[in-house]
Amino acid sequence: MNTIWAPEKQMIDDAALLARVSAMTYAGREPGAQPLVGMLAAISRAILADPRARLASQYIALGYWLRPSALQQLRDDLVKQTNDSGALLAPRGVALHLPPTNVDTIFVYSWALSVLAGNANVVRLAEKLTADTEWLVSLIACVVAEHGEDERQLFCSYPYGDAFEQRISRQCDLRMIWGGDAKVETVSRTAIRPDGLSIGFPDRKSLSLIGVDSYARADEKARDELATQLYNDTYWFDQMGCGSPRLVVWIGEKSDTLSDDLYARLGKAVAAKKIAVETGVAIGKMALANDLLAEGVADRLRFFSNELVVVDIVDPVVGLERTHGGGFLGEYTVADIADIANFTTRKVQTLGHFGFSSEELKRLARAISGRGGYRIVPIGQALQFDVTWDGMELFVHMTRRITIWETSWKQAALLQTPVS
Amino acid sequence: MIEALRLAIEAEPYSLAQPVHQANLLVGLNELTAHHYDTCAAYRRIVNGAWGGRTRFERVEDVPYLPVSLFKTQKLQSVPDEEVRVTLTSSGTTGQAVSRIFLNKDASAMQQRALANSLMHVLGKQRLPMLVIDTDAVFKDPRMMSARGAGVLGIMRYGRNHAFALNRDLKPNFDAVRAFLKEVGGQPFFMFGFTFMVWINFYEQFRNEGLDLSKGVLIHSGGWKKMIECSVDNVSFRKALKDAFGLVRIHNFYGMVEQIGTIFLEGAGGVMFPPNFADVIIRDPITWRPAPLGQPGVVQVLSLLPHSYPGHSLLTEDLGVIEAMEQGHRSVDGWMGKGLKILGRVPKAELRGCSDVISAVA
Repeated sequence: MNTIWAPEKQMIDDAALLARVSAMTYAGREPGAQPLVGMLAAISRAILADPRARLASQYIALGYWLRPSALQQLRDDLVKQTNDSGALLAPRGVALHLPPTNVDTIFVYSWALSVLAGNANVVRLAEKLTADTEWLVSLIACVVAEHGEDERQLFCSYPYGDAFEQRISRQCDLRMIWGGDAKVETVSRTAIRPDGLSIGFPDRKSLSLIGVDSYARADEKARDELATQLYNDTYWFDQMGCGSPRLVVWIGEKSDTLSDDLYARLGKAVAAKKIAVETGVAIGKMALANDLLAEGVADRLRFFSNELVVVDIVDPVVGLERTHGGGFLGEYTVADIADIANFTTRKVQTLGHFGFSSEELKRLARAISGRGGYRIVPIGQALQFDVTWDGMELFVHMTRRITIWETSWKQAALLQTPVS
Repeated sequence: MIEALRLAIEAEPYSLAQPVHQANLLVGLNELTAHHYDTCAAYRRIVNGAWGGRTRFERVEDVPYLPVSLFKTQKLQSVPDEEVRVTLTSSGTTGQAVSRIFLNKDASAMQQRALANSLMHVLGKQRLPMLVIDTDAVFKDPRMMSARGAGVLGIMRYGRNHAFALNRDLKPNFDAVRAFLKEVGGQPFFMFGFTFMVWINFYEQFRNEGLDLSKGVLIHSGGWKKMIECSVDNVSFRKALKDAFGLVRIHNFYGMVEQIGTIFLEGAGGVMFPPNFADVIIRDPITWRPAPLGQPGVVQVLSLLPHSYPGHSLLTEDLGVIEAMEQGHRSVDGWMGKGLKILGRVPKAELRGCSDVISAVA
């Protein structure tokens, strides 16, 4: 059975759900229309006003990302795309969002951008949601209903893999698939509209890059600040986000003293936040560390605590494939920032950095170009969502352009002539 | 066979008091750590990477341990391939990885001798007639052959004149059980089965049959997960068997394929004791230091048996507690050492994006 938030959660049968989606085909609106901005701003206010959001930084981050000034900036970015060409920006149509289960705010980012782009949206949520996700979906569905947008914005859940999924998909002009490689592959087998666009956002792994010399020169305060930022990148979403760093790469001459110093500070940040992993997770991390040692992928284990396990990686390509989450970091050292390219595969997403000049960062970008690695951001901002994601301008894919070629002068003359 | 193991096996089973037991164990564990370090490259890399490359330790608790799941993901052996005589695998549902344990000829003989030594403590030196609480199809029918079948077959060598209490569909075979008891004629006999089968397929089927099993010695094992689902703990299990059959000599044991031949056998007070050549350490799941008596934690098992693979010190995924120490006396029914109670499995943990949120709410 399917569920729908209308705005309270209720059951809905296949025919009724399909009818709702079919009715959305021509329901798109003008991209960047002010009422859409207003609705998203109302969601931001509702999130930030709810004491529940205070308990988790990812909800605060989401509320902040949707604040009115930020939305206005997004809207400006969106509409200026067609400023020079004279084309008219149009919504793509019906967008289907398939968010991941591991990062429970992604569905809002994916959906909100598509709302701004003027699309009618179907967000397909997991059949079982955590209490926090339930809260977030209800909150959004209520604001959507208050703004009279509930015909166009549909939050629902239906089973994957049967004929119904095919019929829904057939109605969609855009499909955004967030999740593991296997999910993207499976879902991609189901066709959407023949002229539709399906984009996969599969598994990615991320790194944190730290300049050895810069760290050596940093004072206590700067080092603690870095540890706090690295904590945020690593421990939000249990280190299971695409942008969560899995490997800390020191650039320069290897120094155990500096590395121990960093993890001592990171350990302190972890302790201060009072997070604790379950025993099963701790044993899982121990087991993976032992596997990597046994296979020669790593050659040293530092078990700082159940929450912070660091292995020295010998083979960074394999090290980036064999990750755990919940506070499991690989460590690697290279001499030069451009050496990062040697193990930057298509799977690499975010490169967090500390202690590099903009020239060095550009050199890094040129080195990884054509390989992988789509975001180079300061450590602490690895999980910040952006309109350019996995190397793609999302707004471009979420809209169409109606090109307008003006008539030639002869026809223009004809047009002015009365018919009779 | 290393000398420390020989000494432990030659002593009266379950008889060594802690000081002697620990001293002998430490000598043996150091020797095995060095042996596996020299002969198993993967183990050597682990000891180098995680334990500073040391192979000699002052205390049993300092000896390196491997997470038991490593036998599912790695091929760990300390003998050349051509010497491997038996490859044991753990039970596991289809699609799940199974442990693989490699024994050469010596290791295979050693584990049989060690197991005999432990069982002798409750069965006596003579082999007894044996009632197997299972079906013979479990090892005769190749389609049914499994870790359970291998387990039954392994224990059967310690009994004689075997009878099987269950048919191949696991329904009770009343005639076979009656015929067995008649033939035994009031003399002691040995019973073996997996705990949940003893309960579901034997106790629940035979409880109203008026069987007299007061001369029997039941040895059973296999985890309590299914039993907990039927709300049966060790105390009610023992009481039910006593009430229904007059069966009082009941010994649960704790053991795993990764330390084949080493069994922690239930003795006085319903707790399980390590044999002379093995030990248990309960580790605090946060500090990973040994937990004091009475404090539950993660079970680490140590044994001098694993010579052909580096399994002499393993961190299991079981939770347990040491409830008693040196409870018995050096008499026939004596049980020395740590009295272990198994509390269940470490819960399977799945990392999702929001568990830190949940802990913040809680």
